[in-house]
Amino acid sequence: MKHQNLFSASFYLKVIFAASLLILVTISAITYRHTQSLTESIGWVMHAYKTNVQVEQLFSMLKDAETGQRGFIITNDTVLLEPYNNARQQVENAFIQLEKQMETKQQDDHLQNLHRLINARFAQMEVTLSVARDQPLRDDLLKSSMVAGKAIMDSIHLQVSKMAALETSYLQDRQAKYEYKASITPLFSLLLLLFALNVFIFSYWKISHDLNTLKHKNQLLILQSDSIAHAEERNNMALRERNHELEQKNKELASFNHVASHDLQEPLRIVQTYISRLTEKEIGLMSAKGKDYFVRIKLAVTRMRNLIDALLLFSRTNRTDSIFEIADLNLLLDNARHDLSHLLEQKKGSIIAAQLPTLNVIPFQIQQLFTNLIGNSIKYSKPEVPLLILINCEKPAPIDFPNTRYDHARNYYKIAVSDNGIGFEQMYAENIFTLFQRLHHDEEYEGTGIGLSICKKIAENHGGLITAEGKPGIGATFFIYLPA
Amino acid sequence: MELEPIYVLLADDDDSDRMFFTDAFEEIKIKTVVQTVKDGVELTNYLSVPELIIPHVLFLDLNMPLKGGMECLVEIRQNNRFKDMAIAIYSTSASEEDIEDTFVKGANVYIKKPSDFNQLKKLLTKVISMNWQYHTSWLNKEIFLLNL
Repeated sequence: MKHQNLFSASFYLKVIFAASLLILVTISAITYRHTQSLTESIGWVMHAYKTNVQVEQLFSMLKDAETGQRGFIITNDTVLLEPYNNARQQVENAFIQLEKQMETKQQDDHLQNLHRLINARFAQMEVTLSVARDQPLRDDLLKSSMVAGKAIMDSIHLQVSKMAALETSYLQDRQAKYEYKASITPLFSLLLLLFALNVFIFSYWKISHDLNTLKHKNQLLILQSDSIAHAEERNNMALRERNHELEQKNKELASFNHVASHDLQEPLRIVQTYISRLTEKEIGLMSAKGKDYFVRIKLAVTRMRNLIDALLLFSRTNRTDSIFEIADLNLLLDNARHDLSHLLEQKKGSIIAAQLPTLNVIPFQIQQLFTNLIGNSIKYSKPEVPLLILINCEKPAPIDFPNTRYDHARNYYKIAVSDNGIGFEQMYAENIFTLFQRLHHDEEYEGTGIGLSICKKIAENHGGLITAEGKPGIGATFFIYLPA
Repeated sequence: MELEPIYVLLADDDDSDRMFFTDAFEEIKIKTVVQTVKDGVELTNYLSVPELIIPHVLFLDLNMPLKGGMECLVEIRQNNRFKDMAIAIYSTSASEEDIEDTFVKGANVYIKKPSDFNQLKKLLTKVISMNWQYHTSWLNKEIFLLNL
């Protein structure tokens, strides 16, 4: 989970970086466009201004020409006619200039109109001049010619005003457009900048936050690894202590074994030997009641003997120094069957066994396991029915019990030992494997309550397990799982 | 012709066991001379008497106070004087270690004390009926532990 977070954080940072780059490029482009349009509009202003000035100049030249002409007419001095003569050429030049600057059809039309009017004005001035040069001067002709000239001049003035108005209107148009753009663009840029700023601030926050988290987690990790190291050390200490304890316990167990095998058995054996002496020699002297008591003593002592033997066997199965060997389980079963052949005959019992595998086992323990299970079936058989023990073996398969500490990847042989005995209630299926746990009284069925505990121990010693299924009045089945 | 009696010696700390032992030999139809001592120290003293008739068979209990049977076994087997004396270990326990140990240290047979008097008689008869001199199979560990 944490790894994924870190990964997405780095991915997230990349996205932020890309977005920032994009925003920067966009802002740059917009700014460039904005600057360009500003320059453009300045150009337009300049253009409009220039055109107006040139047109005004044109007009003023025309006026100069008119003034010169008038001066000539009044004084008849040709010097005064000079501006007039110059004006003609200057006006043509100015027109050529202006024509270059015209951009729209309307502007061009206006200019051509002006040109026409100015030409007309010059033509009229020529007419006036020629009238003025005529001798004798005809006042009426001069007057009418000059009036006509004034009329043309008025039209020119109107035309110039029109052109100025057009330029102004263009300028205003463009100004409006520019202003719109100029007002929109900064706003947009500002918004974009603000957005970018937000992104940056958020990224900064996010990065610093991630960094903090990382630091914190790092610290935690260091602390944890420290505490793990500590815990490990403590565990190791505890383990050593445990080991020591275990060794101690093993020693105690060994001395218990000795006590059980020797010190407990010795007085019992002596009691039993005395009993055998009494049975042989003194029993005839006893009363009937005495004989009964004596038989009971004998039974109790025998039971005690069985208990001690079984207990000894149990503690011997606890020993860890038993040697594993490759052994044929069929042979071990045969040995067990042979050991119990006498009892089996008594019960008219028979065993039908399937082929068993050859496994790496502690042979005497597996034989003990078979002996105990068959002995158990004999002990709890139905008196009126011949005992039948079936032994089956299933192919190795993984253990399918939940909550077991057994290797689920490993395959186990499942050996089933079932009988047609008295069975038991399924609710006791676990209890029967507990040391000294019995389901019957001594008077009904003799037993030590150790045999099946030994079976369990043996199965566990082999890395396997044993379970039981019982049906009262029908029989019991024991399942032994041994690693293949 | 009168048969030479078989000389039998028992070292055992338990007086009941000593009593069963002597009683058993009384009931056995073989002529025996049975002597008993009650621990290892007494055994050593008994065997150190120069004019001693060396027993044919020594029955040796392992668990005795003061001086145990194992110690006595080692001492006796180091003494050339008793090289012809058979030693039968006579013990309550029949642990693998004890059997192995006594076999290695030179005992001839291992008897687990029975809990029935008749069985005891049978076992003892079996032991003293053996021809110790020519019984080479004692060196076979498989039959070292004597069963009926």
